[in-house]
Amino acid sequence: MDFELTDEQQLIRDAVREFAESEIVPVAAEIDRDHRFPAELLPKLAEMNLMGMTFPEKEGGAGADYVSYVIAVEEVSRACASTGIIMSSHNSLATWPVYKFGTRAQKDRYMHDMASGRRLGAFALTEPAAGTDAAAGTTTAVRTGDGYVLNGSKMFISNAPHAEVYIVFAKTDPDRGTRGISAFIVEGDTPGFAVGEAEHKMGIRGSSTPPLYFTDMRIPKEALLGEEGEGFKIAMATLDGGRIGVSAQALGIAQAALEAGVDYAKERVQFGKPIANLQAIQWMIADSALQVDAARLLVYRAAACVAAGRPYSTEGAMAKLFASETATRVADRAIQIHGGYGYTEAYPVERHYRDAKITELYEGTSEVQRMVIARSALR
Amino acid sequence: MKIVVAYKWTRDPEEASARPDGTVDWSRAKPGLSTYDPVAIEVARQLAAETGAELIGVTVGDKGVGTPLACKAALGRGLDRVVTVEDGSLADAGRSELAAVLAEVIKHIGDVDLVVTGDSSMDVAAKMVPTVLAGELGWPAVAEVTSVTGKAGELRVGREIPGGAQVLEISGPAVLATSADAAAPRVPGMKDLLAAGKKPVEHLDLAALKVSPQNAVMTVTGRSLPERKVRKGQLIDTADPAQAADELLTALRQAGAL
Repeated sequence: MDFELTDEQQLIRDAVREFAESEIVPVAAEIDRDHRFPAELLPKLAEMNLMGMTFPEKEGGAGADYVSYVIAVEEVSRACASTGIIMSSHNSLATWPVYKFGTRAQKDRYMHDMASGRRLGAFALTEPAAGTDAAAGTTTAVRTGDGYVLNGSKMFISNAPHAEVYIVFAKTDPDRGTRGISAFIVEGDTPGFAVGEAEHKMGIRGSSTPPLYFTDMRIPKEALLGEEGEGFKIAMATLDGGRIGVSAQALGIAQAALEAGVDYAKERVQFGKPIANLQAIQWMIADSALQVDAARLLVYRAAACVAAGRPYSTEGAMAKLFASETATRVADRAIQIHGGYGYTEAYPVERHYRDAKITELYEGTSEVQRMVIARSALR
Repeated sequence: MKIVVAYKWTRDPEEASARPDGTVDWSRAKPGLSTYDPVAIEVARQLAAETGAELIGVTVGDKGVGTPLACKAALGRGLDRVVTVEDGSLADAGRSELAAVLAEVIKHIGDVDLVVTGDSSMDVAAKMVPTVLAGELGWPAVAEVTSVTGKAGELRVGREIPGGAQVLEISGPAVLATSADAAAPRVPGMKDLLAAGKKPVEHLDLAALKVSPQNAVMTVTGRSLPERKVRKGQLIDTADPAQAADELLTALRQAGAL
């Protein structure tokens, strides 16, 4: 067993870190404070080929392996968790289902623009009454002669309204439960499509997550992604990969919080010596370093499964569960190490703490991850 | 036109530590391109883009400089190919020796019109190699270069000098050392890094280059850490300024400072 990254993976880590520190770190605190979507970073992310990393070059992507992708999400999130989820949701949740389930015509229409970062994508599954119970959605798609008419609403939609391409899930046959859900590729300028006011969130405030409203929105039959009734399968398969992206985001947050705690412990002098000399602080740092390392191994293992074409549903759930809970704990300890200063905006650890919590909630709560893991263990 | 960028693959001194005997422990320092070399690559890359020149990276040094990782790190920055000389005997090589080897590599490549280097290396920071290299080649050396335009045999070189700027026109080949801020190094994109492994790399054997022995050999004969002065940690603990001044004077006299 070899735990070494390949040359390319090491160089990608160095390059993304250099990019993130020069372009993203300078705006991270400001976009959080102002709840501002960092639109100016999108062309820069695209220029670095970070918006379609794992897709083939002929489809507009960079042709990188999946481990390289999670390393990139980790490094971007280490600088700014909001930018991490903008990138991750575009790659994993919006572009991937087009690549995986799209027809040749759909790929020709969308893949190059999305994988090269020219058009931002979003994934619209969650509804006001349908979160973890995704099948409880009430958005409908009624077939007409030449397409479908959509009515309903979605909420917590990352990247809206900046996204131009949305993967929307709606019921084409409400009586068939999960088998009555279909997926559609919807363009943001379609008449009947509206975006509501952005949520004011506890963390990842640079990531825009407004509701969407569909009112008699007509889309052509060519917008159907996969077959009718395959929507739930597409959503679950997409979320399996999306979880690995979120696990990488959580890992980046945890790494940033660990480094902030270590740096502060070395600088802060109490009782005539740096607090890093105190065993109470050392134990906190030891626990955080251990958990970040263990999270990294789980995240990279899940990514390696994707890269090797092996099943990754359980591995992704384990990575997401452990990395997200690690991010919350490590950020909590980082504040504890900072003492009162950590509770202020003068230091980034309070942002890491607020950003970390969402990773336990979206793209499957920790409870859903435990359910997936338990099903696998009890099989 | 052929442009050579002479770069250094070395370790970051900020990650190194000094041992009690004064020697440096580099084992925990991550290897990488020397800090200012990406600036040199970027200056050369811009000229190559304007002129259609071939951009060749050259590096010489200890074991490690020719590894695939080191070569891909340089190639990912925009070089067309690299030529390396990797030899354990170069681990402690001085500036003259390294410049002599570099000169032989440049002669081996042949028909080189321009050599560009970084401002200084991050581990030694002597700023000597470009000048000595130019001497070996019999070419002019120009330091603190901020811009270079033109074509082979007709180069226009800009420099920032104290009190103003200088523009030089150079009719033949030259060695240019770029200033630390001559260009903003471009961070390589994912496609650049993934393509780097497909570019040509040539490894040369040091012995086969037949580098002339140096007339003078520089050897490090002693190392020591800076002397640390022991602090007395004496605290004058009084709220009365006059008494504090008296105590301070007494202490300074006792220490022989007054």
